[in-house]
Amino acid sequence: MVSFKLLEHPADIGIEATGSTLVEAFASAAEGLISIIVDPETVRTQILQRIEIEADDDEALLVKWLNELVYLFDAEHFVCSKIEIHSLVSHTLKATIHGELFLQDRHTTRMDIKAVTFHQLFIGECNGRWTIRVFVDI
Amino acid sequence: MSTINIKKIDDYRYLIPKSSRQGMKIDGLIFASEALIGQIEHDLTIEQIANVATLPGLVGKSLAMPDAHQGYGFAIGGVAAADLEHGVVSAGGVGFDINCGVRLLTTQYLVKDIVPRMDQLLTQLFHDIPCGTGKTGVAKVVKQELNTVLCDGAQWAVANGYGNHEDVEHIEERGKIAGVNPEYVSDRAKERGKGQLGTLGSGNHFLEIQRVDEIFDNETARVLGLHIDQVVVLIHTGSRGLGHQVCTDYLEVMQSGMKKFNITVVDRQLACVPIHSKEGEQYLSAMAAAANFAFCNRQMITHWTREAFVKVIGPGSLRVVYDVTHNIAKREEYDVDGIRRQLLIHRKGATRAFPPHHPDLPQEYQDVGQPVLIPGSMGTCSYVLVGTEGAMKETFGSTCHGAGRAKSRTAAKKEITADELVKNLESKGIRVKGASKSGLTEENPDAYKDVSEVVRVVHEAGISRKVAKLVPLGVIKG
Repeated sequence: MVSFKLLEHPADIGIEATGSTLVEAFASAAEGLISIIVDPETVRTQILQRIEIEADDDEALLVKWLNELVYLFDAEHFVCSKIEIHSLVSHTLKATIHGELFLQDRHTTRMDIKAVTFHQLFIGECNGRWTIRVFVDI
Repeated sequence: MSTINIKKIDDYRYLIPKSSRQGMKIDGLIFASEALIGQIEHDLTIEQIANVATLPGLVGKSLAMPDAHQGYGFAIGGVAAADLEHGVVSAGGVGFDINCGVRLLTTQYLVKDIVPRMDQLLTQLFHDIPCGTGKTGVAKVVKQELNTVLCDGAQWAVANGYGNHEDVEHIEERGKIAGVNPEYVSDRAKERGKGQLGTLGSGNHFLEIQRVDEIFDNETARVLGLHIDQVVVLIHTGSRGLGHQVCTDYLEVMQSGMKKFNITVVDRQLACVPIHSKEGEQYLSAMAAAANFAFCNRQMITHWTREAFVKVIGPGSLRVVYDVTHNIAKREEYDVDGIRRQLLIHRKGATRAFPPHHPDLPQEYQDVGQPVLIPGSMGTCSYVLVGTEGAMKETFGSTCHGAGRAKSRTAAKKEITADELVKNLESKGIRVKGASKSGLTEENPDAYKDVSEVVRVVHEAGISRKVAKLVPLGVIKG
């Protein structure tokens, strides 16, 4: 079950994402991030992109994962609405994301994200529920 | 809410003694009035100023300007000076929007010449200057040319027909920080940047048509070319995706580098490396490249602003008063405890404020000091200040950069709808054209501190001097 909510920050916006596994929480965080940039309801799943990234620890992996989505929008104008994470083992993540190229007339844009930050970053598990808190600079 | 005790020194200064928190190597100093310190204490700003004071090789104090507010790692509105030999450089100490800055243009028009055609002018500007989320620029550059932009900044723009040589004389660093090696900017940063050259962006970036409302110093205003009721233009934008990616890339490099140099920090966003390390020098080169991209960006937007004025108002000249950067690290020289030292000054949400007779100032401003441009929140007012000797003595030649946020974007949005906001602004005679309704309400002026109080503090504390107050007539926003 994918779920997230947006958090307040004096200058920026945070995402609190949860899941019954770390993979689900990573997917929820990605959905939260996309919802900051664009209304996901307006995005069709016409193209897929494969992503494989690795980092030194899970915190760095999360930042890199979300920054990858920021990059795809900003540099390649790719917006996505469906996320499949295939594996997340030893700080390595493999995923397929589905979406389409950004169209000014079709997609309802919300905000540009400059970057994902390490500020107050939290990844933790309690009673079988994973929680992620991450702040983005906008 | 802050848990650190601060000590009031006088009406405009508050000390964070280094004894107040474990690991602080230097004191912290906040410039604020009683009214502003209450807002600063409200979130984690003071913790962040104290955290910066734990970094190795810093000199003087960890400084915060009166517009300071909570950032990520470093507070926004902070200044930190590192010894060039033994200190560190931090990508987070400059921030994601490298050389986010402001440029002021004067016109020869009075309010009465412009107001009847304001809607037409805003429509033209909105059409000619790409702004808003996902908008790309009209000036597409290939990779080789982008490398030249990164090396030459605003001087590339002038050489390519965007403006004139006189413009360059009125830009910090003459619009080009020298010594860039574009190879230190990743391909990903270049991919993000190449379509965004000459775009305003979204968030708090804007272009405002303003009226000179009040002059505090006639002689300095005359030298800067400002007079009452004159129409001026303020442009606020930065290095766009290219700068954001440079910061993201080097945060990763610095996090790995810290292990190598055995540096630990209390917040990963403070990641830093020795200035003289390979990683440090490469970051400073990439940062300078991104800064040059931003100088070029504001130069191109200036060119299109001039064209829009010609199309709607008629022939005339828009002159660059000055262009300042708010997010940067600069190598500068200061007297510290009677000794001349070479330092790297991190300014994150702070403006350089050099005094009269500083060698880096253009000839015509030698007697008055460096113009400092302080944008207020949308619909309030902005200020023109000049730098002072006080800034050289106390703040490593730095002052405030704006109003500073007081409320979160979501809180700002809850308070007012976009239609109400536009109506409120129009009732004050301010026309607004925004790409996104949500973007407009996040920049609701009530979400910001009182810019007049911020400016009063830096003026009274003597770290800069008020010259003129500007009020908006029309705004375009991303």
